[in-house]
Amino acid sequence: MLDLVIRNGLIVDGSGLPARRGDLSIHDGRIVAVGGRAGEAHRVIEADGKVVAPGFIDPHTHFDAQLCFDPYAFPAIEHGITTVVPGNCSLSLAPLRADHRDAFSRMFRLIEEMPEEAFNTGVDWQWGEGFGSWLEALTGQIALNVAPLVGHSVIRMFVMGEAAQQRVATDSEIHAMAALLRECLHAGAVGMSTSFVDVDENYRPVPSRWAAPAELDALAAVLGECDKILQIVHEFYDADLTIARIEQLADLSLRHGITTTLSPLFHSDANHRGVTRVMAAVAEARARGAAVWPQVQTRPIDISFTLDQRSLMLIRMPSWWKVAAIRDRSEKIAAINEKRQVLVDEMNALTGQAAAGLGAGDFVVREVANEHNAHLVGRTIDEIATERGVSYGDAVVDLVLEENLQTWFIRASVGHNNSEVVGGLLADPLVHVGASDGGAHVGSFSTFGDTGYLFSEFVRGTGSLSLEAAVKKITLDPATIWGLRGRGLLAPGYAADVVVFDADEIGRGPEIASDDFPGDGIRWIRRQQGVDTVVVNGVETWSAAGGYVAGARAGQIASRGADHE
Amino acid sequence: MGARKFVTPEPGEDLAAIAARVLPVHESGDDSGDAAAQQLLSWNLHLAARAGSGLSVGLLPSDIVFTEPPPKRGATS
Repeated sequence: MLDLVIRNGLIVDGSGLPARRGDLSIHDGRIVAVGGRAGEAHRVIEADGKVVAPGFIDPHTHFDAQLCFDPYAFPAIEHGITTVVPGNCSLSLAPLRADHRDAFSRMFRLIEEMPEEAFNTGVDWQWGEGFGSWLEALTGQIALNVAPLVGHSVIRMFVMGEAAQQRVATDSEIHAMAALLRECLHAGAVGMSTSFVDVDENYRPVPSRWAAPAELDALAAVLGECDKILQIVHEFYDADLTIARIEQLADLSLRHGITTTLSPLFHSDANHRGVTRVMAAVAEARARGAAVWPQVQTRPIDISFTLDQRSLMLIRMPSWWKVAAIRDRSEKIAAINEKRQVLVDEMNALTGQAAAGLGAGDFVVREVANEHNAHLVGRTIDEIATERGVSYGDAVVDLVLEENLQTWFIRASVGHNNSEVVGGLLADPLVHVGASDGGAHVGSFSTFGDTGYLFSEFVRGTGSLSLEAAVKKITLDPATIWGLRGRGLLAPGYAADVVVFDADEIGRGPEIASDDFPGDGIRWIRRQQGVDTVVVNGVETWSAAGGYVAGARAGQIASRGADHE
Repeated sequence: MGARKFVTPEPGEDLAAIAARVLPVHESGDDSGDAAAQQLLSWNLHLAARAGSGLSVGLLPSDIVFTEPPPKRGATS
């Protein structure tokens, strides 16, 4: 008798081929038959009228920390995500020496916007220092599959200590890094990530940025030797720099036979030609035989912020950035009063950039702390300042001081919001869907719901992709690019990662505040819409009817080359 | 492949040293290192912007340094 049958669904198998109606048979964690009529099973899920597809794969996440205290990576699974790739952008929790944990934690919390209390409470470092021991600690404790990257910055820290952020590496240090990378890959890393843009809490470039090209070349040689992937976060705000990085990646890909990926690639209406030029460079690289994959996210860029904590928006205002780092709120408020004019001027400068989409009319009050300010929710800084007869900066400072710094603002759709253009980009066979940043930037925006949005906006909305093409984009395509053998397709022998959803309803819920992380504060999340059931390695893990299944821990380390044979 | 010509810094190089390495003297119209470095900086506003961002380091080994000007607006590349 079979373990599980999903009966009479519309099977969209991930290959891009047309959907067909039939049953999906699952036994011992794997798919045993696709289509036809299945035999008896211990459990039957009726999928009449619903789509049955492979579980979705999210290749750009920072769930490293969240997975330490939340085996479900809530709410990723309910969106149909069954495999995530953490460790992007040069930062992974291992390998890391015990005496580097503080420095790393500060770096990770800042760059990925993870609240300090949540990180410190949730990450106990009980696994020790090694990459393999971290994966051992996850094994049997996770509800979805993890295909981990190892971070270039942590490899550099492990070998060079403080010098990792001071100088180029010596030949012997490069040799040691190559050996360490090889060890991590053998332990289960699907590849290595590096960063060309990030800075730590002191504005110092992260360790990976101190690597000379020869160091990256030596590490790419190890990736080639092990047939693993290289991920970079590049200067995504500049088309010329992006194109230069594509040229570097193409050279590494051709020299070492590796797959490379860069993320994110955004479209901006303010620079129509940027993405066109970047994609021309990608096409040229592909024509040379190089494997260079830009990752494109589906959602528009929305950025929320308070003036109480460091965030993406505050990085544009150095004085606010410094003030926000003050831990004690009363001291912070005193500092704002003391430096008020400088802070007002900075806010005026930020909100004066209407041409860049950052005008005072673009920023909206999202949430207020005081009941008597409820009428301000939904109003722009421009409207409030005009009504009060003060400058934009004065209006903001007056409001946040009155509210003990608990006012939330939002700049919605600041870019990547032209659905016709983004839809065309997503449909391009030379890009893959990614860059969700799952588990990161929790106070700036929700990183959940991108897969639902792919269907609601670009299948049902613009019609840029067919249902089958959209499913392939987030299943077989990433499984192939990332070398996740045995996943991403509904076929006999493949892992039984399955999502059942309503093609007419799947989408993303509204962005809402959630206080589920350890410690105080909130994060922004989106709940699923239109998803019915999610199965991970044959185990029903979430359903619309029953929610998250307590104790479901069927997630595996989905290492590259592990084909479940 | 459509990328502007660029180099990455050699160990210890600053913009003047890179200019001396990659720019013919006549391009800057001045054989002093400062003028050539200024010309390079004008082609690399991402490096110029770094000073204003609070980043207190010079060139990084992984930096892209363009050795020709940006394409003119409307030009195909």
